[in-house]
Amino acid sequence: MAMVVDYKHDSSFPYWTSIRRRFAPDSPFFSSGNIERELLAKQVALDFTEDERNQLEKMIDTDARGVFCPIVGCGARLTLLEDFEDHYNTRHTASCSVCSRVYPTSRLLSIHVSEAHDSFFQAKVARGYAMYECLVEGCDLKFKNYKGRQQHLVDKHKFPTSFEFFKKAHPSKKQRLKNQRKRAVNKKDEEVPSKMEVENEMMEGLVSAVSKLSTSDSSPSTVSFGRRNARGLTFVPRSIQPPLQKK
Amino acid sequence: MADDSPASHRRDPIKSSVGNVAAQRRRQNAVTVGKERRESLVRAKRLCRVGPSGDGDVPGEENDMVTDEEGFLLDAQTSSAVEDLKSAIAYQGKGAMQKRVNALRELRRLLSKSEFPPVKAALKAGAIPLLVQCLSFGSPDEQLLEAAWCLTNIAAGKPEETKALLPALPLLISHLGEKSSLPVAEQCAWALGNVAGEGEELRNVLLSQGALPPLARMMLPNKGSTVRTAAWALSNLIKGPDPKAATELIKVDVLLDAILRHLRKSDEELATEVAWVVVYLSALSNFATGVLVKSDAILLLVERLATSNSLQLLIPVLRSLGNLVAGDSHTTSTVLIPGHEITDGVIKVLVKCLKSDHRVLKKEASWVLSNIAAGSIEHKRLIYSSEAVPLLLRLLSTAPFDIRKEVAYVLGNLCVTPTGGDGRPNLIEEHLVSLVQRGCLSGFIDLVRSADIEAARVGLQFMELVLRGMPNGDGPKLVEQEDGIDAMERYQFHENEDLRNMANGLVDKYFGENYGIDE
Repeated sequence: MAMVVDYKHDSSFPYWTSIRRRFAPDSPFFSSGNIERELLAKQVALDFTEDERNQLEKMIDTDARGVFCPIVGCGARLTLLEDFEDHYNTRHTASCSVCSRVYPTSRLLSIHVSEAHDSFFQAKVARGYAMYECLVEGCDLKFKNYKGRQQHLVDKHKFPTSFEFFKKAHPSKKQRLKNQRKRAVNKKDEEVPSKMEVENEMMEGLVSAVSKLSTSDSSPSTVSFGRRNARGLTFVPRSIQPPLQKK
Repeated sequence: MADDSPASHRRDPIKSSVGNVAAQRRRQNAVTVGKERRESLVRAKRLCRVGPSGDGDVPGEENDMVTDEEGFLLDAQTSSAVEDLKSAIAYQGKGAMQKRVNALRELRRLLSKSEFPPVKAALKAGAIPLLVQCLSFGSPDEQLLEAAWCLTNIAAGKPEETKALLPALPLLISHLGEKSSLPVAEQCAWALGNVAGEGEELRNVLLSQGALPPLARMMLPNKGSTVRTAAWALSNLIKGPDPKAATELIKVDVLLDAILRHLRKSDEELATEVAWVVVYLSALSNFATGVLVKSDAILLLVERLATSNSLQLLIPVLRSLGNLVAGDSHTTSTVLIPGHEITDGVIKVLVKCLKSDHRVLKKEASWVLSNIAAGSIEHKRLIYSSEAVPLLLRLLSTAPFDIRKEVAYVLGNLCVTPTGGDGRPNLIEEHLVSLVQRGCLSGFIDLVRSADIEAARVGLQFMELVLRGMPNGDGPKLVEQEDGIDAMERYQFHENEDLRNMANGLVDKYFGENYGIDE
């Protein structure tokens, strides 16, 4: 039986360990069995059918089992765990009409749209206004740049350092290939400014792509769209993109 | 809010010809209606409708459901019955005893009529001190029986009503002794069972007043309804959360023998209540668990699981087995040795439970399997190659949430080596590959999508195994195919920091810059 030795990567991930799990008799784990015990014991005396009993059990279980939506700032009460998927699809999938990224709240979506697709926003940033608002509802602080806001999220609101608001959602492979083909077709015609709206590239890649486009019809092979940069800062305010804007 | 639709009226109309309308009304009320009724149904207390000798009103159509008007009338009748009892007790002349018994009987009937007896009215009229008087030593059996029966039903309802029995407890306990007639002892045990079922405080009072030894002794005979009632009362008495009562019980001389004897030979009804005693013994007291594991108990539990089809019996028997496996490492290391007949027997009955229609059995059987799968490599091999795995895989995709979570634990435990000294288990590639190929990954990803923190954690941990351990670097591709990336990305705005870190860590590590370029 082959075994794979795990590598010494981040010891912070809580790997699966197989251990025995024991529960106290009043643990919620046992509650449906306990309910069943009492209902069965009373079933004969009170004369309900098995179906009625099951229905009762379900109702009692539900009373006990509600859970709150764990998406930050939502707090909606879900009466059954099974409701979560529906709730999530209804309330937490606000999608951007420009780039199709999906956000869990309409507020975050509108922040994204301003920051990523609005040249007016960028103009104000360039003039030094604090435009990057804190993502935590109710905080209301604003920052002059993305990095500043990022740091605030980590320092003040305990966001993990790997959190990235602009981290590109990963399209499926099919989607990526489609994107690649589409971009290859559209590339030549596309305006420079709309190129700014594509977030999923490294700063250098973006700059070189743009400069290549503006000079000639060089092949796009060094420019990669799609998955490559999954991490990190992909959109940079105009004010610091050298070839495009004189400071 | 959950579905509040009334009970379906699929009931066979031939079933009850008399009082059909009332019966229908009763049924409707039984399933819909408010919190109060639901609370009363799941209480660990039981109303006594039929006496030990079979007398009393059979729960019948006309008697059962009480309208507001009828309730009012019932309260008035109850108050007056208590008054009658008062004067009967005061009366010293000829036929006094019969008078008392008649008054008690009348009160008892009123308290046994419906599912919600007029307890409040009885208490208000001052029933308790009178009933305590009727329990005095030397009273005739009939009197003791009726008084204890009244107290039983007074204690079967709300907490404050049960607490009202405090003055009666010492006498009730003393009538449990060997000198008492069986029906009287049984009725007192029943009343005490209701009191114990109320809560920890009352349990402690009962224990300090010495209720445990006489109840334990009542379990020694081979059969009888008294044994059953005593076992039920004991299960309420020892349920803790303080383990001291459980430990005290197992130490009672010859009690273990009696328990084993009942598990082995008694009818299912009695075995059910005894099994619940074992549930609490094994869940609370390490000492009791040790004693039970060394005895024949496991064998007997397996035997019952194999032969019975009564859900009432199977639940506590399965749970007892589960507690013994979970509570003591000796169970898997010295009793359930892979290759031994008893171990095969355990797997077999757990498989039977997985196949059953009952949610509780499927869930708790999965839990037991997960603990066995947390044993040695041989244990993992044993389960992996058993009939359990195909069943588990199917349950992972189709069963209700709480079952899927337990199944996830079994499957994941099969894929890692035992937790050694340094706490870093290795993968069992053969098992992991096979299970993933048989389609278990989507089930785990569903758990990642759930709102339950524990389930999400389990799902993410398994995803890590897949990402790390699938050969040829297939892991990331497989996860992507099942929309695993999307599931993990939901955690960016999740309020739980641990889960956020876990998910983000996996995405960063396995779906980072270089993912998918070389295609």
